[in-house]
Parts: sequence; C-alpha cells; structure tokens
Amino acid sequence: MRDITGFALMVLAAIVTFYAFPYSLAFTTRVVIMMIFVLSIDLIQGYTGIATLGQAAMYGSGAYAAGLFAVHVSQAPLLGLAVGALAGGGIAFVSSLVLMRAEGLTQLMLTIAVAEVLREVANKFSAFTGGSDGLSGISPAPILGIWDFDFVGKVGYIYAVAVLLAVMVFLKVLTSSPFGLALQGIKDSPARMRAIGTPVMRRRIAAYTISGVIAGIAGALAAQSTALVSLSVYDFQLSAEAIIMLILGGTGRLWGALIGTAIFMSVHEVAASVDPFNWLFIIGALVLAVVYAVPQGLLGLPAELRRLVRRPQ
Amino acid sequence: MTKTTRHVAFAAGIGLALTATAGNADVIKVGVVAPFSGPFAVYGQEFRGAIDTWVAQHGKMAGSHEVQFIFKDSGGPNPAAAKSATQELLIRDGVKYLAGYVFTPNALAAAPLASKAHVPTVIWNAATSIITTKSPEFIRTSFTLPQAAMPMADWAIAHGIKSVVIAVSDYGPGIDADKAFAKEFTAKGGTILDEIRMPVNTTDFSPFMQRIKSKAPNALFSFIPAGPPAFSFVKSYSDYGLKAAGIKFLGTGDLVDETELQGIGDAGIGVITAHHYSVAHDSAANKAFLAAFQKAAPNVTPNFAAVGAYDGMRVLYKMIEAGGTDGAKALKSVIGTSWESPRGPVTIDPRTRSLTQNMYIREVVKGADGKLENKEIDTIKDVPDLGLVSK
Repeated sequence: MRDITGFALMVLAAIVTFYAFPYSLAFTTRVVIMMIFVLSIDLIQGYTGIATLGQAAMYGSGAYAAGLFAVHVSQAPLLGLAVGALAGGGIAFVSSLVLMRAEGLTQLMLTIAVAEVLREVANKFSAFTGGSDGLSGISPAPILGIWDFDFVGKVGYIYAVAVLLAVMVFLKVLTSSPFGLALQGIKDSPARMRAIGTPVMRRRIAAYTISGVIAGIAGALAAQSTALVSLSVYDFQLSAEAIIMLILGGTGRLWGALIGTAIFMSVHEVAASVDPFNWLFIIGALVLAVVYAVPQGLLGLPAELRRLVRRPQ
Repeated sequence: MTKTTRHVAFAAGIGLALTATAGNADVIKVGVVAPFSGPFAVYGQEFRGAIDTWVAQHGKMAGSHEVQFIFKDSGGPNPAAAKSATQELLIRDGVKYLAGYVFTPNALAAAPLASKAHVPTVIWNAATSIITTKSPEFIRTSFTLPQAAMPMADWAIAHGIKSVVIAVSDYGPGIDADKAFAKEFTAKGGTILDEIRMPVNTTDFSPFMQRIKSKAPNALFSFIPAGPPAFSFVKSYSDYGLKAAGIKFLGTGDLVDETELQGIGDAGIGVITAHHYSVAHDSAANKAFLAAFQKAAPNVTPNFAAVGAYDGMRVLYKMIEAGGTDGAKALKSVIGTSWESPRGPVTIDPRTRSLTQNMYIREVVKGADGKLENKEIDTIKDVPDLGLVSK
C-alpha cells in the first residue's frame, strides 16, 4: 500500500513538474536520468554494501554503446536503450569478477580505476569515439516510430520518466524478493550469510551486474537526450556527485535516491543561475548540513525528528 | 487554461511588452555559455572581463537596441550541461544570440539547437576546425590549432630546422596539432624523428624528456593545454638539459599563455610559439584594449581568451545593430567583414566563418619591466583556418 502511494506521488510529481516548468524540460530530463543513475548506485551501495566511486564506468559504456549503435546501426531509441543496458551490464559483470574480490577502500579505488581505464580507452580510439571532441551524429528516431523528439523536450521528458518508472518498479520488486533480502543480509554480515549457505560472491556479482544494466540505461538515455557523447561520461565527478545525492536522500532507500537527486540538482540549478560564479559554496554548505544534521539522509528526517521530540520523556 | 484563453493571454502579454517598450529601445538578450565555476573558471573570468571592457567602451546600446547578457555556467567539457543550458536560454529566456563555448563538445552539443532556432552563435574559444561546419549559425572569433601549428612548421623549415620530435597531450587538440604540424613539416622536406603522445594530466615528464634528448632532434614541437602540465613541461625541458643541448622548443601559444607565463619563470626564456595573440603585440588597438581591460577587470590578466571574447563582442554588436532580431540578416551583415582587432587585422572568412588572421611567431623574453613576455619575432600574414581550407 505504501508503495502504491509512493508511485502515485511520483507520477503526480512528474506531471506537476511537466506543467509547472514547461521551459526547463531539458533540465528536468537530466534530473530524471540522474535519478536512474543514482538508483543503480543505491542497489549496490545502499542495499548490498559494495563501496563504489566508479559507477560512471557503466554509465559511460552505456552512453557510448547507445551512441555508436545510433550512429552505425539504428537510431531507434528503445533499441539504443537495450544496447546501453547490455553494455553497462557487460562491463559490470566483467569488472565485478575482479572488484568483488576486494573489500572496502581497495574496492573503492578499483572501481575508480575501472572508470579511468575505460575513459582512456575511449580517448585512445578517437577515430571511433570522437575522443575529446565527442561522438556526434546521434539523432534519435521517433519512439516506436510514433513520438518524435521535439525542440522543447516534452517527448524526451516523458520518455525518461517512463523509463524511470519501469526501473523503479523493477527495483521495488527486486529488493523485496528473496534475492533482495539476501543482498541486505550480505550488507549487514557477509560472514553470517555465508554460514547459512548464501553464495555471497555470486550474489554480489549479480547485484553489481544488475546495477550496471541500470546505469547503462541511464547512460543511453543521456546519450539520446544530449545527442552527443563525450569523455565526460566517465568523469569521476559524475560518480562522486551521484553518491552525494544518494547520501542526501538516504542510502538503502529507493525513494531516498529520487528525493536526494531532485533536491541536489534543483539547488545546483537554482544556485548556479542566481550566481553562476560562486554557486559551489551553496552546494558545499548543503552537503555539510545534511551530513552533520541528518546522517541518515533526508528520508531519515522524520525518524530523527521523532527521536528529538521523544527525548525529554 | 484552455487553448483559446492561453492564446489570448499570450497575445495580451505581447501587447503589454510592446506598449512597455514603445518609444524605448527594445532589449535583445544574448546568452553566454561558459565555465564560470570549477577548474576552468579562468575562461569565464576572461570572458566577463572582455564583456565589461567592451560595454565600458561602447555602452549598452547596439544601434537602437539595448543588449542584455544572461550567463550560464557550463562547468568543464560537459555537453549535457551545455546543451540544457543552451536550450533553456533559447526557450525560457528567449535569447536571440548565443556566445561563449570554451570546449569543443560543448559547442558541438549546441550546434543542432542553434540551427533549429536560427540563432546566430559566436564561438569565443572552442578551437576544433569542424565546429563551424556543424551549424550555419556559428561564427568563431578565436583560432584553430592547424592555423597555429602549420605556420610554425613553415617557420621551422625556413629557419634551418630539419628534424623534429613531436610531443603532445594525448587528446583531441593535441592530436590535431600533431597531425597539422607533421603534415606541413614533412611536406616541406623535414623529418619527424618521433611522435610522442603524453597523458593529459601528467606532470612528470622525465621519461619523455629522456626519450626526446636521445633522439637529438634540431627541435621539439609540443602542444599542451595551459595549466600545471604546461608549467612542468617547460621546466623539465630546461632541467633535463634539452635547452643546453641546443634542442629548440617550438609550440603553440597555449604553452606560454600570459596568465601562466610569470609562473613558468626563466626556464621559459627562448621558447618559440605560434599564436594569434600576444599581450605584447605592438599596436594602438592592443594598447587601448589592455588599458580598458585593466580598468574594467583589474584582477584578471588578459590572454587570448579575452581577445576572442572581445572580438566576439564586436561581432555581436555589429550583428544586433544590423539585424536586430532577424538572425539571418545579422549573420549576413558580418560575414566577410574585416576590422583591426587587438591581435592585428582580422576577417571573418566566408568559407569557414572562422577568422582569417595573422599568425605570430613569438619568443619568450624578459621585457623592459623584468617580466616575461611573448615577443613577436615574425609574422605570417592572413592565415585562414588551415584545418578546413588551404591558403
């Protein structure tokens, strides 16, 4: 029941945004894509306890795969998404065979390394990827041959929201399935899970791969909506900012990922347009405030307040 | 709101806007997309300095139109952010002209939007040749790398340099510079002993310096973007004895950009670069520009980015004056025109919509005031964008 209310609110928010900010759909589309990306991190960081700062590896691979597919094979957007998902999942699966053998800080560093290696590969094969000039020539065909992408970005926005909804439903089902519960068990105590017979390594690899698929979808969406893929899709900054958004909303909660992303990016956008020169201060202050005041993230705020009220008794 | 009421409201809005501005000048908005925060914010500062300089000299009016600027931060090379910033400027703010764009992917991401909206766009910096071919609305007031690298090769041949090792940063502009130089240099009979591509962010150049030294070329040709790597590259060149071994150091002007030049110190003396602008350029137009810039933005050291933006401001004002909100008319009015820029005489080449301009061969020397400067020692006149057309 709670989930249904959640989904209803989410759809409502998407519709309100659509009508309230008709001139900012390019930006709101970016927010929605970022939400999908942050959700992919939540699955591994928040639910499975895998430390990562290199999720951009899968996002970027999804973006390049979808971009190259669009340029050389077909501009059909849904096919592009599928290709992006495959690329993200493939990279995640292969890299997880190494990554999941490490723990904690080592793992963190290795995830960064994977993204950096891929970035260098994209740079080296500039004849193929466009290198630092970016990969151009993407112009998505109408979705299912019906809805054409318009200049204002209405179709692009609805398309992204639809994908987000699908991802969200999938993750809700996944996280409450026995598999999802096993992941949470692994996060809390891998040793105990191993003792009761869960193949911890295999579960982690599976979780990382699924998260890679979702990040790949986000990257493919970004490639289609920007119509250009550049080396920045592998940026460390992208992975790091996504983690901040996740922490802001609350890790290990799917709705937290959405709320954190919406708030971070809105504050970013407003601050940057009010003062394009010094807005970074405001972002810094926001992150500090949340980390100090509500370490559980914004979704932990009600519980935190309740605790505060009860304390005098 | 129904469709009709919306139309009525819209018409009323336009009516109000018209009455409000009747008698007064209309306001024409120009969107400026550039990095105003983060590691590349120096470009944004140069751009703002140039805008303030131009406005201080020429006022807010272009002909009968008042010009208003709206700034959007694009951060670093980030086409997604640049595209949504551009889209918002076009749709929400209703800008009639676009300007700025420091990085190639950012400019390329804006190309389809500018074309679709028929909004003239002045590229103030991004330097890959292909950019202006991606939208008929694009005009560029900076330079392109082949424009600097090929004259450098000609000059080297003319001055008895027969063998060269090329060492460039391993990314787009570096590779462009490498290819342009190598093509021209070998075509004129020179030999390339080695081509080295170095990681973009490295600051440890010792292995590369050893390798260059062992090849014993007449000269080294290099492109490295301004910043800490350029610093330490120039320093290593002197520390590892290449300077003492008589290997000449050639490059494009980015290596010894004026904002960084004093930091490089005496190790930089003798470095020879080709570029379209030196702060030390000796002309009345440049002196006037520097004096006005100093007044408008006292905390910023002007460099080539400032001049690109300053000339970009002239182009914008000319376009607005001639065309107002009519983009096609505006574009037509400036393409093919010439003027005296602080860098020297320039023309917007109708073939490429980039500038045809003089390239200067400059040597780093200690000026009369004890500060380092890029002294122009030779001029190659009227160089078009050699990446797209030949002379």
